[in-house]
Amino acid sequence: MTTAADTVPVGSTGDRQAVAAAIELTDIAVRFSMPTERIVSFKEYVLKRLSGKLEHRELWALRSLDLEVQPGEIVGVVGRNGAGKSTLLKVISRVLRPTRGRVVIRGQVAPLLELGAGFHFDLTGRENVFLNAALVGYPSRVVQEHLSEVIAFSELEEFIDLPIRNYSSGMLARLGFAVATMFRPDILLIDELLAVGDVGFQEKCLKRIHDFRSRGTAILLVSHQLDSISEHCDRALWIERGALKAEGPTDDVLQRYSEGFAES
Amino acid sequence: MTDTPTPSPAQPALRQQVYDSSKRSHPSIEELTELVRFWELVIQWTRRNIKLRYKRSILGVVWTLLEPLMLMTILTVVFSTAFRFPTRDYPFPLFILSGLLLFDFFNRSTLQIVEETVASLGLASRIYVPRSVFAVATVLTYLVSWGIALIPLLGIMLVLRQPLSWAILTIPFGMLLTGLFALGVGLLVATLGAFFHDVKLTYQVLLTGWLYATPIIYPLEIVPPQFQKYFLLNPLLHLVALVREPIILARVAPLENWLAALGFSLAALALGWWVFTTQRNVFDYRS
Repeated sequence: MTTAADTVPVGSTGDRQAVAAAIELTDIAVRFSMPTERIVSFKEYVLKRLSGKLEHRELWALRSLDLEVQPGEIVGVVGRNGAGKSTLLKVISRVLRPTRGRVVIRGQVAPLLELGAGFHFDLTGRENVFLNAALVGYPSRVVQEHLSEVIAFSELEEFIDLPIRNYSSGMLARLGFAVATMFRPDILLIDELLAVGDVGFQEKCLKRIHDFRSRGTAILLVSHQLDSISEHCDRALWIERGALKAEGPTDDVLQRYSEGFAES
Repeated sequence: MTDTPTPSPAQPALRQQVYDSSKRSHPSIEELTELVRFWELVIQWTRRNIKLRYKRSILGVVWTLLEPLMLMTILTVVFSTAFRFPTRDYPFPLFILSGLLLFDFFNRSTLQIVEETVASLGLASRIYVPRSVFAVATVLTYLVSWGIALIPLLGIMLVLRQPLSWAILTIPFGMLLTGLFALGVGLLVATLGAFFHDVKLTYQVLLTGWLYATPIIYPLEIVPPQFQKYFLLNPLLHLVALVREPIILARVAPLENWLAALGFSLAALALGWWVFTTQRNVFDYRS
């Protein structure tokens, strides 16, 4: 139970006491069970079920995965398509429950996976800020207090009261990022470093991410861009077919990963 | 940009801090505590629904007020000229309208719960949200519309010189019970309807039958006495009474109706909640 609490956190600053890991996965497995053919009607389902023709295909997206991420650490995750990276992020963000194993998450998770999930195009930017913040779990009272900062960060002052159907994709992404990172989360999940807006804005995003990290946010970065992993991460994981293939210092793991790719 | 970006503040201490998948309670209990934790979202989502309804129509709120009036006019003309049910000492238009507003609420909110549940599958596969949020917000949305629709009804009462009594203050409680009942039925249908297209179609047909099986456009008295006891098994009959009697008879509905309505609503809610929450992992792995 307290295995994580006993280890000394890698990324923590000196004045802090031993802190429990932010993310702690023990022997995680996720199984998807899908019908081999798509059944769309209840009638069909009942008939198939009664005649015993209902077949399921099992797919293990994750097999047996252990992972610990300490506060203030940035961990990179690499792997081929379908290796289980997205499933891993979904398990950590609670979207999926593992079929087996234990997940312990200490603190608030901010997934930067789907910026603006839940945005409605008929609503204004301002209305969407409140809605999106509520989806992540921030009360509107607190959002109200920080609204001007969010708008300033997104650089959308002139457009914030327009329906977002008039926004460009860059504007949407900026608003999404600004809302998602309105408060410092304990855990930040990033699926590909965002190509949000222009270079200036990207810099601003990176700055904010590093600011979070220096104040104790644990970050998991999934990416196919190996340079961005080696640039930002303390440590890396290589996931292959739902299991951990390698783990360790970023450059070692990346090197083995590239070699592994070259071989196959 | 400037060199001094506003440092984003630490997250407000508002959410549960440790999630441990090994310490999970029963899914039905867990969903309930999660719903409470996400209550802010329920309110926000309800406001969103209401805003969207009014943004899409030109007449907006006016439409909500006009629709029941138009409906009532048509039905009153049809039923008071063509069928002529013997009504006692109350105006037939109010009788019909009070019942129809309730049924309309039930009809729309349960169907919309199915819609919202299916629509939220996409959202809930990307970020973590308790799924019941959308169903509860749907019921709240339609409760608000129903409340607004009661305003023209009160106007009609004044025009028809219907006596107003303090009994109308019990109407919100009747509406609340109807909301709980609709939530229970909606969750039940939504659980199956999320997978199978024909479930919703079947339910729609059932709804039409349900409307005619409920004394809404006709009084219970025209039903032959030997069948009336079966009619009493219909939860909507009791719910209609709670809302209708204060309007047409200026009195609080009898205690039997309150007890029956309470029993049916809680039973439906418990069943719907249980099915919806225990089957929800199935939602996740829907292909």
